[in-house]
Amino acid sequence: MQKFPNLVVALDAAPADLPFVTFWMDDDERETVTFGEFRRRARAQAMALHEEGVNSGDRLVILMPQSIAAMTTFAGGMMLGAVPAFLAYPNFKVEPAKYRSGLAGVTANLQAKAVVIDQEFPEEMLACVALGPATKVIKASPSNPAQDPDQRRESANIDPGSVAFIQHSAGTTGLQKGVALTHAAVLRQIGHLAQALRINPGQDRIYSWLPLYHDMGLIACFILPMVCHLPVVMQSPVNWVMQPESLLQVISQTKCTLGWMPNFAFQFVPRRTPRMRWADYDLSSLRLLINCSEPVRASSIQEFQTAFRISDGVLQSSYAMAENVFAVTQTEAGRNGPGTIWLDGQQFRAARRVVPVAANLPDALPCTSSGRLLPNQQLRILSDSGEIANPDSVGEIVIRGDCLFDGYYNRPDLTAQSFVDGWFRTGDLGFVLDGELYVTGRKKDLLIVGGENIYPQDIEEIVSAHPAIHDGRVIAMGVYNPDLGTQDIVVVAEVEGEDWLSDAADLERKIRASIVAALGVAVRAIFLKPPRWIVKSTAGKAARSATREKLMREHPELQAEDWQEHAAADPLIRPTG
Amino acid sequence: MTPEENKMIDYIAQLIRKPGMSIDENTPLVSSGLIDSMALVDLLLKLEELTNRRIPAGKVQAKDMDTVAKMFATADRVGKPRR
Repeated sequence: MQKFPNLVVALDAAPADLPFVTFWMDDDERETVTFGEFRRRARAQAMALHEEGVNSGDRLVILMPQSIAAMTTFAGGMMLGAVPAFLAYPNFKVEPAKYRSGLAGVTANLQAKAVVIDQEFPEEMLACVALGPATKVIKASPSNPAQDPDQRRESANIDPGSVAFIQHSAGTTGLQKGVALTHAAVLRQIGHLAQALRINPGQDRIYSWLPLYHDMGLIACFILPMVCHLPVVMQSPVNWVMQPESLLQVISQTKCTLGWMPNFAFQFVPRRTPRMRWADYDLSSLRLLINCSEPVRASSIQEFQTAFRISDGVLQSSYAMAENVFAVTQTEAGRNGPGTIWLDGQQFRAARRVVPVAANLPDALPCTSSGRLLPNQQLRILSDSGEIANPDSVGEIVIRGDCLFDGYYNRPDLTAQSFVDGWFRTGDLGFVLDGELYVTGRKKDLLIVGGENIYPQDIEEIVSAHPAIHDGRVIAMGVYNPDLGTQDIVVVAEVEGEDWLSDAADLERKIRASIVAALGVAVRAIFLKPPRWIVKSTAGKAARSATREKLMREHPELQAEDWQEHAAADPLIRPTG
Repeated sequence: MTPEENKMIDYIAQLIRKPGMSIDENTPLVSSGLIDSMALVDLLLKLEELTNRRIPAGKVQAKDMDTVAKMFATADRVGKPRR
């Protein structure tokens, strides 16, 4: 890979007539821009932003639907030396007032100079982005400037150590954490990825349905092709999720070679594509499709591989996070895909010990590798007491390396909590065996639903606000749903008095609606319980894991077997194997 | 209600697994949290089957699928003949 001092120079160096982004709306509607045209539009956005008063170093929040225009606005911001951040576009399910407060929290924390919206931004939401005199609302200029902007800014002057953009790692409301990343750190990450994945600029083409506000969509599927000068074929995540089969259509037709997606998608696509059409698609162009951002499951990978006749070694895995720009580990391209080992279930649960056993033992737990460290990355596994854990133990994964962020933007408090002796505490649990990382779960209370991170505290706060619910006696948790290959959100809450349970269905409906209105996420199940049901810790707080165990005992239908039974009965869901 | 709308309602009742819950053609499904975004594809595939049309996802938004009545109106608006 060529060496560049900053991301704007990398974009400037791409051949003008090389196709860059193809945006796929439907099989009869798509748009392709070359690198030259992309730069022209990005410069036009840069000029328009500059005229609105945006300057070097200013933070810029981009609220636009997944589109070429969103990407040129982001690149235009970087051309000015400003610091762009993508946020999720308003979802029709979310109440404007709730949306406003979430957005206000983020823009205040970033001290954003401007919020850039698209031309079609919903009128009724406009008032929600007008956030006071410090933050200006700018409509992105129409994507096709009539004339070529002649002004070429001095992109070579952008300091490699300056912040290039901000990624948000997780969260929907007040807990948004902005990860500020320098040009140099991002370029180092891209260099490591290009090497590990053996990126070949003349031949590789990326496929993506991933949102640009998520590290996988932003780094792997926008910044990487921008720096390595690769074409990318992109869909909107909102359209893809309604028609997951379109992934097969796009890859078959455009011959993409490289892609990433969270674990759930590996079974969502085959299960939501009628089986009679599986053979219509040809994915033989794929060189690597990488399972990333949710715990990797061998069964999900196997399902995708079998359904679409994928060659060995194409489906791989990676462990990644916004705080490290993106990837920390990657399975080796050219090998037969991530290895799976089986562990003694009893030893794992009782003592968090890693004791490999034969696959066919009744209590054996499968664990799938996330690969080896990328160059210049290091990791350690820490015990609960913060010591380096024994090699055969599960513990918290901590990392350091040359791509790691310096801290959460304007949040020294959160930053201090996240580092120990210069190592970043990921909050993930795992172990290392023969040099490969296996991620087994979360230490921090984070739900990962379809690859997106959701804080249970956000949900608990909303449920607690209902007068029928005992404040603070609510637990939101993720329960693995094997049909979807991801977590479902399950909520258990104590009512203030038993009489509230006489119309539990109505109360449940209201709580469900208030969660959607605030966060835009649907919960699978809400369990309303009488007073004193939730297990408390000695400090009087709701105890998460003990409450979870009690709920699982009382509601064995939440266990995996029952979900699978339902899946088999559903005519649209046809598990393989 | 048309027989197709009734079939869709039966299908949704089965999908959300709430036996006591009554749904009609105007019950909000997505905005009420009964249906999550990952289940929209199930509704779209069922709608294609019941209307015998192909419905391009690129022309459909989640809010177009919020009620059974809206789903069938969407199928009329953007549906194409089967390939």
